[in-house]
Amino acid sequence: MHTSYIRAVKAESLKLKRSPVWLAFYALPVISAFFGTMNYKLNIEVLQSEWYSLWSQHTLFLCYLFMPALIGTYCSYLWRLEHTRHNWNSFLTAPLPLSSLYLGKLTQAVRVSVLGNLWIFALFFICGTLTGIQSPFPREALEWFLCGTLGAVAVCCVQLFFSLVIRSFSIPIGIALAGGIFGLYMTNHDYGMDYPYSIYCLGMRANNPNMEISISTLVVNSIGYMIVFATLSIFYLRRHEIAAN
Amino acid sequence: MITLRMEFQKIRRKKIALTMCALICVQFAWLLWSGSHPDESGRLQGWIEMLHSLPLVSVIMMPTIMSVLASRLADVEHKGNTYKLLNTLRRPGELYHAKVICGLCFILAISAAQFIFVIVLGYARDYAGHPEWNYYAKAFVLNLACCLSLYLLQLLLSMLFFNQMIPLVVGIGGSMLGLILMYIKMYSFLPWGGFLSSAQVRMDWNPETRVIHFYYREYSTLELCAVFMIFVWIVVFYTVGRILFKRKEV
Repeated sequence: MHTSYIRAVKAESLKLKRSPVWLAFYALPVISAFFGTMNYKLNIEVLQSEWYSLWSQHTLFLCYLFMPALIGTYCSYLWRLEHTRHNWNSFLTAPLPLSSLYLGKLTQAVRVSVLGNLWIFALFFICGTLTGIQSPFPREALEWFLCGTLGAVAVCCVQLFFSLVIRSFSIPIGIALAGGIFGLYMTNHDYGMDYPYSIYCLGMRANNPNMEISISTLVVNSIGYMIVFATLSIFYLRRHEIAAN
Repeated sequence: MITLRMEFQKIRRKKIALTMCALICVQFAWLLWSGSHPDESGRLQGWIEMLHSLPLVSVIMMPTIMSVLASRLADVEHKGNTYKLLNTLRRPGELYHAKVICGLCFILAISAAQFIFVIVLGYARDYAGHPEWNYYAKAFVLNLACCLSLYLLQLLLSMLFFNQMIPLVVGIGGSMLGLILMYIKMYSFLPWGGFLSSAQVRMDWNPETRVIHFYYREYSTLELCAVFMIFVWIVVFYTVGRILFKRKEV
């Protein structure tokens, strides 16, 4: 299993070689950080919590609405490679277990999401330093990062499933955008922890950096979503007859 | 006409209408949720408030919805590798026209559904009086124009790039840019800010009394230029799209 998993990851890396699809994960947070910092500077009399105020300016829209859609785009791209032409034939007849093949795709999605999250934090640190915030960098940032990453992995699993089942490239992205918007409603009604697209935002504390959340619920729910959607995807690959295009 | 009919035949069973319906329903749910229990003041200002909310919801969702629509229509050709075949039967310009008109039909249906929903919702919530039809008609035309300009941009990108991730990311980035621009100023010369320029209603919030007052916007010359820019973008994207499509190497 271990060897086949590594081979699957290597194969996926080869498929993605020279494909600049990861660029979006770096470009969009830059837009958000630029305008967020500008807004912070313009309203500095009202936004007095320094790093915490800057954090919500950077991440509010990005985490609620656009990161799920970006993750969705990447997951759609990963499966699009198989959905086009006759690639399903070679994918399904590869001498590797289907679970490893699926985990290879998931690893790529997780890798890009984690690096994207790291980039968000790097921009946060750079912008905070440039704006001259005097207080020390918040220690909680590590917790936000870990919780946010866990939520992002859950979104990856959900989106990989939708992109596997739906052959269209764009429909799963529409689902991710709608999911993100519906996440606002769920969070507002205190159901955020039960809904995968909100877990990511709550983990990142995008709305309120001082928010107290139940870490155990977040971990259990995220892992629950990962297991359910990963199992569904592998089950779909095993049982469903996927016709080559 | 044959090319246009062919276009609709190609998208049969692709469930594009269903996808658009689902995405528009998210907008409807948002509008339903945003003012679900209006008080007396809310009922008095209900119709004008709707004209304020609709462009704001559109600025977030429409760039991505338009990118999904354009990608669905263009991807049929990419996946089937049909450009070469189609270009031997029809002139490339005709195929481009057919795609534009096909998309326009969807945009018309989406815009009509949005306004019908808003009007029905207003009457269901018992808003005072009736909608001011001249403002609603203008809002409809401007909304349609904004959607069309974004669709033409997305169609251009979706046709040019086999990798549909590029146009989709541009759509998502456009949604984000529009949303952020909303916090800076209520007009923009960028294609994604068209919904802001076309918003005819502005809001005045008094932080002491916490009372919201909506009023019809009086356009400055610069803001009128921003509205005019929507139509300029339509012409630019259409022309550039047609030229690039005709020159596309198949």
